[in-house]
Amino acid sequence: MTSRGTPSRFLRSVLQNGLGRYVCQLKRISIIFSKTHPSSLGVREYIEEGVVDYAKKNPGTVVYVSPQTSTVPKIVAEYLNGNVREEIVIRKTPQQISELFTKLTSQSGLDIIRIRKPNHTDSPSIQGQWHPFTNRPPSIGPIKPQKQLNQS
Amino acid sequence: MRQTLFDNRPKENVKEKKVAALPVKMAASRGLWRTCSLVSSRTPLLFSTAVRPHSSLSGDLVPRTSLSRPPWPQHTSLEPQEQEAEMRRHAALVNTVNQRIQQQDIGRLFAVVHFAGRQWKVTGEDLILIENHIEAECGERIRMEKVLLVGAEDFTLIGRPVLGKELVRVEATVLEKTESWPKVHMQFWKRHRFQRKRIIVQPQTVLRINSIEVAPRLT
Repeated sequence: MTSRGTPSRFLRSVLQNGLGRYVCQLKRISIIFSKTHPSSLGVREYIEEGVVDYAKKNPGTVVYVSPQTSTVPKIVAEYLNGNVREEIVIRKTPQQISELFTKLTSQSGLDIIRIRKPNHTDSPSIQGQWHPFTNRPPSIGPIKPQKQLNQS
Repeated sequence: MRQTLFDNRPKENVKEKKVAALPVKMAASRGLWRTCSLVSSRTPLLFSTAVRPHSSLSGDLVPRTSLSRPPWPQHTSLEPQEQEAEMRRHAALVNTVNQRIQQQDIGRLFAVVHFAGRQWKVTGEDLILIENHIEAECGERIRMEKVLLVGAEDFTLIGRPVLGKELVRVEATVLEKTESWPKVHMQFWKRHRFQRKRIIVQPQTVLRINSIEVAPRLT
C-alpha cells in the first residue's frame, strides 16, 4: 500500500549495537522441510552441502534442522529482540537458499516497514541550535532600570 | 568565544542610503501643483540619495538588486601593515586551535562527510541509512575519507573542498545489510486501460559512526 497506509518507524539499532562491539542479531535459524516431497529438494541439497559451513562461519547463531512430513519447506529465523521471520523456500535452488541465509544473518530483527528518516542522532546540536537571535547584534541598547521622574 | 577560520569579515557599520521620498501627487489645479513643487524643492531631502550608475552602462553580469551581492563588504584592500597584522592574528588563531586540539579540550566533534553520493552531518554514536550495499561485511570498521568540514563547540575547520586525511579520521561500523520495505510503483492512466504495478525492494545498509578524531597539525 502507500507509505501513509502502512506502519512506519524511525531508524534505530537494537541496544546500541556497533558502539562497543558488533553482535550478530540472528539468534536461531530453523529449517523445516519434508524428506520426500519434491518441493524441498533444494533444501535437502543445501542441508547436504552448505549448512555445516554456514554454522561454522556464524558461531553465534544456532541452526536447527527439523524434517517433518507433509509440510511446506520453510526457514524460521528468530532474532535477539524477539522478532520471528518465516520464509517459504518451495522449489528454491541451494544457491538461492544460501543467499537467503546470508541476508537473514546480516539483518537485525527490526520490522521491515517504512523508515522515516535515513539518519538518527542523539546529539543533534553541538554549537547550539540556531534561533533568530544568534549572530545578530542587539538593536536596542542595554536594558537599564528606568529613571524615576520624581526622585525621592 | 566562537572562532571561525577563513571568516575575516571586518565589522563596519554599513550606512544604508535611501532614495528621497517622491512628492505626493495631488490631482489639483496648476496653482496648487506649483506650490507643491516649490515646497518639495525648498525642504531639504531627509535622506541622501545614493548615486548608482545604471547596470547596463557599467556592464555588470547580474543586475544590481538587494540580493545580487552579499551583505558584507567585499574587495577590502589591505595595506601591507594591515596585511601583516592580519597574518599575525591568523597565526595566533591557528596556534590557539592547535593547542586546544593537543590538550584534548575540544568536546564533541561533528563532521560533514560526503558518502554514497550524499553529504551527511555526522557525530559520534549516530546512525546512517544508505540505499545500497557496501563491499564490507557486517561488523567491519570503515573509514570515511571525504570530510568537508569538522566542527567543535568553539571552532570549525572548513575544507577546500575536502580536509586532509592526516587531519581528520571518521570511522564507522557496518551494522546491518537489509532490504527496504516493498515499495509499490504503480502507473495508471484513466480511461486508457493502462496500469502497471511493480514492487521495488532496494538493498540498504546501516552504518554507525564510531568516532571522529582531529590531529593537531594545522598550518
